[in-house]
Amino acid sequence: MEYHEIEQPNDLTKKEKEDAMGAYLMMFASVGAGLPLPIINLIASIVYFIINKGKSRFVKFHSYQSLLSQFPTTVINAVGVFWAVQIFLLDNYEVTDIFKGYVLMAVVLNLVYFIFSIVGAVKARKGLMYYFIFFGKLSYHYAYAKSPTSEVAKVIQNVPPKL
Amino acid sequence: MNLSVRYQESFSRGELLLRSIFGLFYIILPHTFILLFLSIWSSILTFISWWIILFTGSYPESFYEFQVKLLRWSTRLNLRVYNLADGYPAFGLDVQDESFTLDIPYPERLSRGTLLLKSFFGIFYVVFPHGIVLYFRLIWTMILGFLAFWSVLFTGSYPQSWHEFNVGTLRWGLRLNLYMSFMSDQYPPFSGK
Repeated sequence: MEYHEIEQPNDLTKKEKEDAMGAYLMMFASVGAGLPLPIINLIASIVYFIINKGKSRFVKFHSYQSLLSQFPTTVINAVGVFWAVQIFLLDNYEVTDIFKGYVLMAVVLNLVYFIFSIVGAVKARKGLMYYFIFFGKLSYHYAYAKSPTSEVAKVIQNVPPKL
Repeated sequence: MNLSVRYQESFSRGELLLRSIFGLFYIILPHTFILLFLSIWSSILTFISWWIILFTGSYPESFYEFQVKLLRWSTRLNLRVYNLADGYPAFGLDVQDESFTLDIPYPERLSRGTLLLKSFFGIFYVVFPHGIVLYFRLIWTMILGFLAFWSVLFTGSYPQSWHEFNVGTLRWGLRLNLYMSFMSDQYPPFSGK
C-alpha cells in the first residue's frame, strides 16, 4: 500500500491547523449545546468530520481520529448514564459494586480520552501529527492511503471479449 | 461590521399581504426549523471558540466564516419578517442576496482580557445598558413597522427615514451580537448608524 507524503508544519496554513484542532474540541459539544448527553458529542464529531473530510489530508486525518476515538467514549458514557437513570431515577436497580467499578472505569477512560484529545488539539494547532493508540493507524490509512489510479481501474474493468 | 440594506423605491403590495397573512407558514417556519439546528451548531462552535481564543488569542477562521454566514442568513430572514425587503429569503449558507450586504471582517487577533471581561461582566456593562436602550428602540421599530405596513399597502413605498431607522435597529442588534459572541472586541456603539 502506498501513502501520500505527510505535510510538514510549514506546508500547512493557519486555517488548516485550526480546523484540525477543532476536531478534538468537539468533545465539549454537549456543553456548548447545553444538552448534557454523550450522544451530542458523537453527533457533533460526525458533523464536523463530514464538513471537513473534503479539506486537506491533515484535517481529514485529525477529524477522523477524533471521530473514531469518540465512539467508545460515547458508548461507555451512554451505558453509564442509562444505568444511573435506572438506579437513581427509576429505582429499577440498586447501587452495586459492579456499578461502582463501571463508574470508576468510565471516569478513568474519560480522563485518558480528555488528555489524549487535548494533546491532539495542541499538536494539531502546531501542524503536527499525533497518533492515538489503534485509531492513529486507522486514521492515517484512511487519510493518506493512495487510492488506485483511474488508469489501473480501467485496465481491471475493461477486459477483451471471450472468443 | 458593515450592514447596508438596499432601499427599494417601491414595494410589492401583493408580497406584503402574502407575507403578513401567510408569512408564518411559508417563510418563518421553514427557515426557523433549519436555523434552529444551525444555531445549535453555532452555540457549539462559540463555546469551543471561547476556549480557543483564551489559549491562542484568535477566533478559528473556519468557525468565524460559518458564524458570519449564519448571521447573513438570519439577516436575510429578518429583512423579510420586518418587511424591509421584498422577495423570498433564499435557503443556504453560501447564498448571495441582492437586497443587502453584510461584511464582517475577520479579526486576526482578539484580546484574552476582553474575552474574560465580557464573559464575566458583559451582562453589566453591555447587555443591561444596550438592552434597556434597545428595548425602547424596538418598541419604536415595531410602531414604525406597523405604520410602514399601511404606507406600503396604500402608496407602495416605505418611508426612507423609517426604513433607515429600522435597519439601524437590526445593525445595532448585530453589533451587540458580534461583541457578545466573542467575534469582535469593538464595544458596540449606542447607535444604529
